[in-house]
Amino acid sequence: MPMVKMKFEGEPVREFWIGRGGFLSIGREKSNDVVIDNLGVSRFHAKIDSVDDRFLLTDLDSKNGTYVNEAPVTSHWLSHGEVITIGKYTLAFTCDDAPVRPGADDESPLEQTMMLSSEKRQELVARSAPKISGVEVEKEEVGVLSFLAGGSGEMTLQKKLTKIGKDALSDIVVSGLLVGRTAAAVSNRPTGYYLSYVGGLAKPKVNGETVRESVKLKEFDVIEVGSAKMQFLHKFVSKEQAGA
Amino acid sequence: MMVVEASGLTDKGKERANNEDALLVDDQLQLYVVADGMGGHRAGEVASEVVVRSMSEFFRNSGRAARSREQEEDEEDAPPDPTLSAEAGHLLAGIRRANRAVYVQALSNDEWRGMGSTVAAVRFTDRGMIAANVGDSPIWLVHDDRIEALSVAHTVLSEGLVSERGEAGRRFGRILTRAIGVGETVRADVCEAQCFTGDVVVIGSDGLSNHVHPDEIRDVVRSESSASACRMLVDLANRRAGDDNITVIVIKVKDVGRRAGFVSRFATAITAGLRRLFSKA
Repeated sequence: MPMVKMKFEGEPVREFWIGRGGFLSIGREKSNDVVIDNLGVSRFHAKIDSVDDRFLLTDLDSKNGTYVNEAPVTSHWLSHGEVITIGKYTLAFTCDDAPVRPGADDESPLEQTMMLSSEKRQELVARSAPKISGVEVEKEEVGVLSFLAGGSGEMTLQKKLTKIGKDALSDIVVSGLLVGRTAAAVSNRPTGYYLSYVGGLAKPKVNGETVRESVKLKEFDVIEVGSAKMQFLHKFVSKEQAGA
Repeated sequence: MMVVEASGLTDKGKERANNEDALLVDDQLQLYVVADGMGGHRAGEVASEVVVRSMSEFFRNSGRAARSREQEEDEEDAPPDPTLSAEAGHLLAGIRRANRAVYVQALSNDEWRGMGSTVAAVRFTDRGMIAANVGDSPIWLVHDDRIEALSVAHTVLSEGLVSERGEAGRRFGRILTRAIGVGETVRADVCEAQCFTGDVVVIGSDGLSNHVHPDEIRDVVRSESSASACRMLVDLANRRAGDDNITVIVIKVKDVGRRAGFVSRFATAITAGLRRLFSKA
């Protein structure tokens, strides 16, 4: 039976079956069949449809694209053994009982700590770079706090640590009787954005729930600190704008 | 001031003749560093040793002299980053200092040419912690029953230059894309996070992370003291493979010092609020 095996560093391999006549959706949103909780993956990223005896992979106009054997695709008939890359995840498509081609497993991986030479790096970059012609601005997803009350506009979370509090030096200044000088902070970590309580008697709330320590922020979470009510969103900005 | 209980352990493993890992556990500076060196002729040992020594010296000296000439030079090549706190900027300056020290030493002797090291450094501030890294030595934060990486691996595989499945992935996947001491400058990844009482920070070398899953690390550090967690994790990695040097630092946050002054802050908040009410009236 046709299936895809999803692999990502440090995570167990997961298998997803595609029924004949059915389909398999892939994306960040929970309602997908294959959920990849990673900011590099669009909410509805791609799907695989069963059409007669064949399987069609379609990129759903995702921001970062879908790759098959390291080449970008918009729609592609999958064949056995092909490797789909979405963000940093790889999904191996298998569709018949043919034995997997034996790999050169006798060649042991390098165990010594080694640095990539610049020539080799260029070679690998050239091989993995999306082969798209024309000018493509590299985009990056950043977190944004959009004011619902107690302020206006939105605040891009460019800093590694964005402070929210009564102190005039805070990145987001809020008022309120029991709000701390620094009441809360949003930390931009490799795994996402986290809101933490820092100080003061009035603790921050996320979706109405009091945050005593820290919580990972999800799309559309509503944050309340003192007088301010903000919604957390992701936004795409060009890499230069992101200032990273 | 954050109260932490820290321990570190390094082991050369079962197959290597020498230990190219180095570590720094300095409770006074609240600075914790793991460095995993590379280069032949014992150069890897030299590189990682230089990394931890220069990081330690940098923080010891930066407290004393108001502004050393070196710091000013550093600021010239790397203007302060507005997206970082002063403390995070300072940790990155320490990493740049270590990079220059290894780079200069590598040029001084043919046997050391091309040597380098990873660095994974954590420093506590009075409000939280800063984690910065170059290379593949991991930094994890354990909060409640969750373990998350605060470091970003700079390897061919994690930067997406090869896919894990392919031949290239097997052969080159674990090669570093960035390292300390191989160039005049280096860019580290940095993360600023809040800490809470009961959190545990773990820093390791790949000799640990290649053989012990983060969930296993989380379970060990939550149930054991810092010192015995280090011992158990090193033993576990050795039992499974022992093909590389293994280093681990476990730091348990005992008290974040946030409760101090609670009553006085409450009183201040009340009086400030009352004053505002009266002034409006």
